[in-house]
Amino acid sequence: MDLELILLNFPYVVAIILFSMGTLIVLTQANLVKKVIGINIMETSIFLFFIAVGNMHGGVPPIYDPAYPEALYVNPLPSVMMLTGIVVSFSVTAFALALIVKLYIYYGTISAPNFMKLK
Amino acid sequence: MHDYATRVVFRYMLLFVLLYGVYVVMHGHISPGGGFSGGMIIGLGLLLYILIFGQLWNMSFRRMILDSAIIFVGIGGILEVLKFIIPHEHGPIGVPGTLFSVGIISVSNFGIGILVASTILGVYYMISEEE
Amino acid sequence: MDIIGMDALKVLPFYCVIIPLIASFCMPVLARWKKEFCAPLTTAVTAAVFIITIIIGNHVIKGRAISYAVAGWRAPWGIEILVDPLSAVMIMLISGISLCIMVFSFTAIKYELERIVTGWFYTAFLLCFSGMIGLVISNDIFNMYVLIEIAGISACALVAAKGTRLSTEAALKYLLLATVGSGFILFGIGFIYMITGHLNITFIAMELALIKDQYPILIWTTLSFFVVGFGVKAALFPLHLWLPDAHSSAPSPSSAILSSLVVKVYIIAFVKILFIAFGLEIFHETYIRQLIIVLAVLAMLAGSFFAFVQIELKRRLAYSTVAQVGYVFLGIGLGTPWGLAAGMLHIVVHAFMKTCLFLCAGAIAYQTGRKKVNEFAGMGYLMPVTMGAFTVAAFSMVGIPLFGGFISKYGLALGSLEAEMPLLILVIVLSGLLNATYYFPIIGQAYFSQDESTGDNHGGDKKKFKRDDIPLSMLVPIVIVALGVIYLGIFPGTILKFINLTVSVLL
Repeated sequence: MDLELILLNFPYVVAIILFSMGTLIVLTQANLVKKVIGINIMETSIFLFFIAVGNMHGGVPPIYDPAYPEALYVNPLPSVMMLTGIVVSFSVTAFALALIVKLYIYYGTISAPNFMKLK
Repeated sequence: MHDYATRVVFRYMLLFVLLYGVYVVMHGHISPGGGFSGGMIIGLGLLLYILIFGQLWNMSFRRMILDSAIIFVGIGGILEVLKFIIPHEHGPIGVPGTLFSVGIISVSNFGIGILVASTILGVYYMISEEE
Repeated sequence: MDIIGMDALKVLPFYCVIIPLIASFCMPVLARWKKEFCAPLTTAVTAAVFIITIIIGNHVIKGRAISYAVAGWRAPWGIEILVDPLSAVMIMLISGISLCIMVFSFTAIKYELERIVTGWFYTAFLLCFSGMIGLVISNDIFNMYVLIEIAGISACALVAAKGTRLSTEAALKYLLLATVGSGFILFGIGFIYMITGHLNITFIAMELALIKDQYPILIWTTLSFFVVGFGVKAALFPLHLWLPDAHSSAPSPSSAILSSLVVKVYIIAFVKILFIAFGLEIFHETYIRQLIIVLAVLAMLAGSFFAFVQIELKRRLAYSTVAQVGYVFLGIGLGTPWGLAAGMLHIVVHAFMKTCLFLCAGAIAYQTGRKKVNEFAGMGYLMPVTMGAFTVAAFSMVGIPLFGGFISKYGLALGSLEAEMPLLILVIVLSGLLNATYYFPIIGQAYFSQDESTGDNHGGDKKKFKRDDIPLSMLVPIVIVALGVIYLGIFPGTILKFINLTVSVLL
């Protein structure tokens, strides 16, 4: 793999690394709050990926300015989609934390191996 | 959180945080900003206030916030839905760089701001008062 | 297939999504005020949507898909709603089954849930309902993702509504794994957007057909991301870990919804993305087909094996769902006209069967409190109607002729002959026999063995039929769904006509 290629696609590489890290944390960590943090890392990496897709070299923010009618704008659509993604991520986090609080009341611990067993 | 430094710093910071939130909400339509981001800032500012100074509000006020969160989510959801039902009704385009030039959208931005702020507080209360 | 637009008719699919959504927003406020009104209002909304979907279905079966641009924004930019015959039959199925389950929930919810959460249960149900319908009829992949999340999170809420230890734990497990799954789906959508620049499935298909040779590895990656994501969501075998806990610990109306509908709509979305967006050429060129077939065969066998060792009835039914999802994926993996049609038919049939079984389990627990499979002695005489419906659904699950399950399994066998993989017939038969080994003992026990626990004071009339002691609102849905299973077994023509209309376009 070319080093130049990697450097040029830097955001994608970071996004993939973060995504793998997040997935690994969700699946392997015992602490439930850490699992939720892993989900957040995962979703954030996807946001980064989408925004990198929308980016354009030399583009300006997509705000219409009468002085420069023909400026090269960055694609705003992925950023807008990620606004929805952030809302989804927020609600998932809130719901998961509410469930964890409830589990803590039941079991007195937030460590998964103490109660999450394969049946 | 009974740390002296945070209390002193945040006492002066709170107003600026809220002001910044209102600023972002007001610029939501024709310049960068928006009801969601502004409402998030307002909500998190109030949440930080609660975390630092403890539960200053009494129970009935907290219940009221929860109720208002629910009702605002309902009203906001219905408004959002109605926006989709009526086709080709996008209102005036507005003048770039000026506030309040796009009619109904600036009003609904304030609605979204209050909705998001109350939702964050509502979620916090829902989690913290579970026990 | 020409796409027409009659003004009044083409808005109808949109109303199917919007009416439950508005009702769900109103529900928490209503629940603060009067909790008794929640169930009738939800049932009325579901019934209204059911009527609308029947009107749509009547139109679509003439071979004309309905296309509607939401809020007037045209296809490449706006969100497009496209109801093809497959979507039409699915929305009819979703609303019809949901109506039955809602009627069932009138009394079941009072018995199984605390009074405080009643309003929230119906809120979550309506959100899930509108998410499912929207997911089936939407033609825009990012919109699909949003609806997947709506349906997924509210499905978790349906599990958590019971509030016991087990259900909270199961809901958290479901939430975490489902979020991982939807993360994979979102990443796949990002890849598609990166290489095509479109979000509308029709336009993606056009673009991908042009450029698919330039990005072979990326298309591979995207497909595998979708398989993992939808596999977690639809509980394909090695990714099914959340399913048994979630489906067995939820209240029985929730289990019926989750098992018969929620798992299936993701499969429909997967079929749409796989066959319409990617197209047949990519499907045959990559090894995605072999992968799906292998996973499906594993699911069919392993799901049945796991079901066999379960003691609790609802867990056994949940593992049976894993096996049945394998059948559907087998149909997709075969990729022949009969195979795909049978897979889609199995979605319909399984929705009826599994709803019937879960509702029967709920009714039995309501009247007698028995939840284990070895406590069924004499049940056939204690609750003849419920147990009769259970028997019908179980026979259909095994694949006995005259019941719905036979038709879809026969179709799958024909499909595997078409795909020149005759060994798969052996797997289908083996899985059917395994189904028999875990359903027949329950039925045999219910009709042919003595009930030692309760029967000693009136010994003589032990073998006499009694009347079911459950309310009419529980009995009627069970009977209707059981009749549906028999109807599908004898007259599968109507549904197959719908499905074949779509399959002939896809393949």
